[in-house]
Amino acid sequence: MISSKAIISPKAIIGSSTVIKDFAIIEDDVQIGENCEIHYNAQVESGARIGNGVKIFKSAVISCVPQDKKFNNEYSVLEIGDNTVIREFATLSRGTSALGRSAIGSNCLVMSYVHVAHDSIIGSNVILANSVNMGGHVYIDDWATVGGMVGIHQFVKIGAHSFIAFGSRVTQDVPPYILAGGTNLGYKGLNLVGLKRRGFTEDQIKNIKSTYNLIYGNEYNISDAVKAVKDTVELTAEVQNIIQFIETSERGIIRK
Amino acid sequence: MSNIGRFAVVSPKAELGSNVIIKDFAVIEDDVVLGNDTVVEQNAIIKSGTTIGSSCRIYNGAVVGSDPQDLKYKNEPTRLFIGDNTVVREYATIARGTAYSGKTTVGKNTYIMNYSHIAHDDIIGDNVILVNCVEIAGHVTIEDWVYVSTLVGIHQFVKVGRHSLISYISKVTQDIPPFIIAGGNPLTYMGLNLVGLRRRGFTNERIAKIKEAYSYIYSDKYNVSDSLKAIKDSMEINEDIGHILSFIETSERGIVRNR
Repeated sequence: MISSKAIISPKAIIGSSTVIKDFAIIEDDVQIGENCEIHYNAQVESGARIGNGVKIFKSAVISCVPQDKKFNNEYSVLEIGDNTVIREFATLSRGTSALGRSAIGSNCLVMSYVHVAHDSIIGSNVILANSVNMGGHVYIDDWATVGGMVGIHQFVKIGAHSFIAFGSRVTQDVPPYILAGGTNLGYKGLNLVGLKRRGFTEDQIKNIKSTYNLIYGNEYNISDAVKAVKDTVELTAEVQNIIQFIETSERGIIRK
Repeated sequence: MSNIGRFAVVSPKAELGSNVIIKDFAVIEDDVVLGNDTVVEQNAIIKSGTTIGSSCRIYNGAVVGSDPQDLKYKNEPTRLFIGDNTVVREYATIARGTAYSGKTTVGKNTYIMNYSHIAHDDIIGDNVILVNCVEIAGHVTIEDWVYVSTLVGIHQFVKVGRHSLISYISKVTQDIPPFIIAGGNPLTYMGLNLVGLRRRGFTNERIAKIKEAYSYIYSDKYNVSDSLKAIKDSMEINEDIGHILSFIETSERGIVRNR
């Protein structure tokens, strides 16, 4: 099901059963898996590496030129995992020489008008709601949900299973498993709805909660809090994930 | 007598009224109804399940009747209805409904500017204006004559009452009652939408009554439910006041607060 009105490079590699609709454009150095849908007027530029079952809606631009003045046409790619959905007018940039790639995982939903910037790495099962805009080099871990109209500063990291309220400005790292919201983006408790939907047990949630009670309590600064967590909380996989996230954070984490 | 561009793709199953104009690279899918004198500009697409009234204009690149952005949506057939004389500007996106209500509705004489998004199961009234980049989540109700300024985000399930104005770059997470201006961060009551009400011919007496009702609702003396009681005890309940009362009484998310 490839429209005769689409413009498709003979050099592009396109899997079986992939549907390409009218006026879509597929450039030379493109790989598209099986059972994908490329809708009207979508543009897949050179460097795109697209998995199976991916849907790209009208006028989205995949693997676009990085919005970085340092970019000098160096070779770079954009990877998209299986079953990810990219909605109308979203723009996903390929990498620059910094990393050579941008990537987005499997089963993600990228809604209308979103921009995924150069050298950003997005995990799997991530939801980016309408008009999420990010700077380059952003890292978003699996199962994170970013609300509509959120702006994310360059080099920011967002931990797994975290939820960012709509309209927020994210300038510091958001650790995993939490809700972040407010005028000055702050910690608003755990993302309980998300964690329960994904089958986290009461015990797992309790350990995460005790960890954040120390981190966002009034007793400690953050490095002392991490020490206290190591001393007093059972070091489950989730707690270790939180500690590692905070210890490797370069921009610092958001406050209460 | 329709005028269809050489490069447009129009399904033979689409139902086109008289004097419809469809420009190049526009796509009209199967189950689409376009009323008389409606214009679809270059590269816009109208997807299956969409009914558009007469004398509407859909500008370049707009996506009308797109699939709902809802992970629960499983391709059930749903619809989008757009009333007469409505304008949809460049790159706006309007989704169909989901199984929840089966439809998204946009009223008559409504003006939807560039990049705005109307989501699944929304009900947008008549004479509404959405300025650039207004992002509306699912299940939102916007009543007639509402003005939503640029870059406003509206949370799912929110209701906005008629003749209200939302000031620019606001985050709307609670219901906005009718006839007011809402602004600030967090979003609050900023008085009546006097300019809007006067333009639409509200008399001074009518405006004074509305003002009196809100002086109870946003007074320091009462909480919201007590203020409604006070209005019922001390004011004559005309149509406007009745609408304010029923709007607040049926509000599920609560109304915006005083500044």
